[in-house]
Amino acid sequence: MKERKNKSPYAIGSAVVIAILAFLFAFPLYWIVTGAFKTPAAINAAQPDWFPVEWTLRNFEVLFAKRSAPLWELAVPFSETLTGKTVYFSVGPTPPAAFRWLINTVFMSVAAMVLTCVTASLAGYALAKKRFWGRGLMFTLIVCAMALPKQVILIPLVREMAALNLSDTLWAVIFPIVGWPFGVFLMKQFSEGIPGEILESARIDGAGELKTFTSIALPIIQPGIGALAIFTFINAWNDYFMQLIMLQNTGSLTISLGIAKLQGENATDFGLIMAGAALASVPIIIVFLAFQKYFTKGITMGAVKG
Amino acid sequence: MSRALARRETIAGYLFMLPSLFFFITFVIYPMVMCVWTSLFNSTMGKEAQDTFIGIANFVELFQDKIFLKALWNTILIVVVSVPTVCIFSLWVSSRIYNMPDWACSLFRVIFYLPVITGSVAVTVVWKWMFNNYYGIFNYVGTSLGILEKNINWLGDERFALWCIILILFTTSVGQPIVLYVSALGNVDQSLVEAAQVDGATDLQVFWKIKWPQIMPTTLYILVITTINSFQCFALIQLLTSGGPNNSTQTIMYYIYYTCFKLYRYGYANAMGVVLAIIIAILSAVQFKVAQEK
Amino acid sequence: MKKALALILALCLALSVVACGGAASSAPASESTPAEGGEAAPATTQITLATYPIGKWSDEAVVNELIAGFNAVHPEIEVTVQYLDYTNGDDAVNTAIEAGTAPDVIFEGPERLVANWGAKGYLVDLADLVNPNTYASVIGSCTSENGAVYELPVCMTAHCMGINKDLFEAAGAWQYVDAESHTWTTENFVKAVEALVAYGHTNVGAVYCGGQGGDQGTRALVTNLYGGTYANAEHTAYTANCAENVKALQLLKDLEGINFDASIVGGDEVSLFANGTLAMAFCWNVALENNNAETIQFDAFPMAFPTESGDPVLQGGIWGFGIFDNGDQAKIDAAKTFVEYMTTGDAYVAAVEASSYWPVFEVEGMYEGNEQMTEYGLLVPYMGDYYQITKGWTEARTAWWNALQAIGSGTDVQEALDTFVETANAAANAA
Repeated sequence: MKERKNKSPYAIGSAVVIAILAFLFAFPLYWIVTGAFKTPAAINAAQPDWFPVEWTLRNFEVLFAKRSAPLWELAVPFSETLTGKTVYFSVGPTPPAAFRWLINTVFMSVAAMVLTCVTASLAGYALAKKRFWGRGLMFTLIVCAMALPKQVILIPLVREMAALNLSDTLWAVIFPIVGWPFGVFLMKQFSEGIPGEILESARIDGAGELKTFTSIALPIIQPGIGALAIFTFINAWNDYFMQLIMLQNTGSLTISLGIAKLQGENATDFGLIMAGAALASVPIIIVFLAFQKYFTKGITMGAVKG
Repeated sequence: MSRALARRETIAGYLFMLPSLFFFITFVIYPMVMCVWTSLFNSTMGKEAQDTFIGIANFVELFQDKIFLKALWNTILIVVVSVPTVCIFSLWVSSRIYNMPDWACSLFRVIFYLPVITGSVAVTVVWKWMFNNYYGIFNYVGTSLGILEKNINWLGDERFALWCIILILFTTSVGQPIVLYVSALGNVDQSLVEAAQVDGATDLQVFWKIKWPQIMPTTLYILVITTINSFQCFALIQLLTSGGPNNSTQTIMYYIYYTCFKLYRYGYANAMGVVLAIIIAILSAVQFKVAQEK
Repeated sequence: MKKALALILALCLALSVVACGGAASSAPASESTPAEGGEAAPATTQITLATYPIGKWSDEAVVNELIAGFNAVHPEIEVTVQYLDYTNGDDAVNTAIEAGTAPDVIFEGPERLVANWGAKGYLVDLADLVNPNTYASVIGSCTSENGAVYELPVCMTAHCMGINKDLFEAAGAWQYVDAESHTWTTENFVKAVEALVAYGHTNVGAVYCGGQGGDQGTRALVTNLYGGTYANAEHTAYTANCAENVKALQLLKDLEGINFDASIVGGDEVSLFANGTLAMAFCWNVALENNNAETIQFDAFPMAFPTESGDPVLQGGIWGFGIFDNGDQAKIDAAKTFVEYMTTGDAYVAAVEASSYWPVFEVEGMYEGNEQMTEYGLLVPYMGDYYQITKGWTEARTAWWNALQAIGSGTDVQEALDTFVETANAAANAA
């Protein structure tokens, strides 16, 4: 369904402008990746190297030597009550902490994504298709809370996490993301598209509520769930603020927070910071490129109904 | 509906809502209520510190606080500048690329989306380097091309700092709208476009009369997410300028954080949170109403 | 797609189960195998040590070695380390305090331990652990006004300036420096800056004010130039808007080659000096030279701040341990055992050496024959009043860099300093 080929000067001119802009947009990433391999001298030179003249792994070496943390740990339940100290199983060796941070970030994003998708699709379905008392009020509440920045509830949230014993755990970051009602809003918009008659006939056939949801509603809103999944994943991955206020120990940091702290310590060692930034961004970019089709589909899906 | 059916619906409805409500109430509503409550107190850090009830004194002080007003102004400026530019820019780019060959279209889409995927912190630190006063690429390019007379301290100069922040925010905000617009424009009913062209409509007319109404829902959605994004810009400020120089990049988001952890004035910070929440609630209610009417 | 989704879902569920406890907070830094608890072990206590980057105390390898030494004597106490930086560290500790997960032991200076967290009632009195030989002035700075010692002092230094000797010589500015006593006059400082600018090195020094990091340098610079003061002798009020300071800041503002730079903090300034961009650093001391040894390609020469009188007053730095009262006596006791170990005997020498500063009481033979320490040691006698424990310090610090930013942006110097004093004194009175 292509439109007629447009070869007017304006079309050509704008294509050139867009190409230049695209180049500029890609430049920061290029600068991260090349910067990660530049020597400190090249980094600090007033005249920058457009391309590393002398490749070095020094930045990564420094980054990796900086901090270490067990790759993964499992606190043995109740070990604290029994022996007076928390016993940990650490899996594998103790590699540079950056890897732990990556694992933490992936875990955090995936857990937030799964929890959000499950809770939001259930709630969105109910809001769209169930006629119950208080529904209007709840929807208003959700819409109002949607744009609420988390800074607003900063102190109460910190205290609450303390009371729940969740401070300095990834859950303290995950739960507020799940609680953020955007997902419910999105899934409600999707669920509006489920034809009422099908639900009605399922009910007449005697199907239970949950059965109706899983067998009829779910397949219809599945693309929406995909969209929400991608949206939440990216959001969680980028949710620097919650990570900043909730996480402190070397072992519980995420990769973004790790780089931010690295920057606080070695403010102008940009080579080192770029190595961290490259480590943080390259894996997710690879995932993105591999699943690009699903990503774009997911992102678009969100808007068609939203 | 029969009464029994209504009851069944209500119970089922709430059961479905339950998991989500649990998180929503525990981690959004409850802290929000606590926030409103604390905003009426003089609350600070300290083991023996007692919260004293001071009514609306925090709110009164707020509107006399020059830094808060400055922060409010900056926040509004960021939203007012970035939302329309993001929308217009992404619409323009999308309208130019959506009918390019597939490979070109998706290439551009990916490139414009890259800053989003790269992650806010990674993007911020590289921009910090590029803006660096002494060996940043901007100053190098600027001075060697003769555009700049001498190095500019981009992030350390009151005149430029906020615009630098807005620029970075812009690059991280256009990715999603472009993807959305490309697909929305691709879905525009082609027969209508062709019919209009047969009738001799110009490209501009075709756009306004036919395409624009059809991509309206997408536009609204983009407005909503871009507004949320612009309001929530925190990492940029925290990592680049800490609100400086001379509060020229102070935003409410950062000022709340600053009031909490640098000045230890929890009640006051919460009062700010309440004001911000009200502003945002009104804004989203308006946007939502508009969206519903369309 | 469907299958992939299902797989991811299953994987996540499995992970979540594992992580329920796994993502838990205090991950021990040392290797922790469950086997350790195998023998009918006496209950081990876990404590957290939070340390700011004080010399090599930011270096994991060095700190782990110190802790290994401790564990050889006290295997029953397990120490987890949290590394803080001067940009985010305070916020991290503050959130942790609010969350009730404050570290048990913290390594920092009186401005945080005594004037802030101690004054707010979060720390434990360590008076019984203080070595009686400790210099009286040091103990004084570590003691709160209620008589409690909230910081068990470990090491100290004098914050000074660093200058790029090679560059100074090349620019003909070396003549303005009294290399013998490491001092110079205000007049010669100005001449040196002018000489460097004339030589073509336009970025001579930076009055950094992007945040509070390293602000001891800017404070000392301003107060020394014409002999002004920052706070009164009783440490109850701020006096930074005195005529001498106004004159000093006006001089700096008008001096070509000195930038008021709101985009950097002390740490950045140090790196800019170390890599040769700036000709002098206002934030400097021996540990900073050591930490940047890899980058420094020139002779970094320590200097006192320039004065009119020839009698510089340097800002001291005193670092030591504070212990947070998290309501668990066992942890407090374990923490005390830890800090006591670190401040006695060979462990103390190692702890001080790790900081690369000086001990707070006579330690015989320490740094003997160490050329660098002898050179920097010349500056220690210039150490002045430790006014960083003036009331309302935390707020005053913040107001200081805001005032510098305002001056940098063109606000009248007197006006900016008046605002500073007003804000700072308001905080001091409220405290």
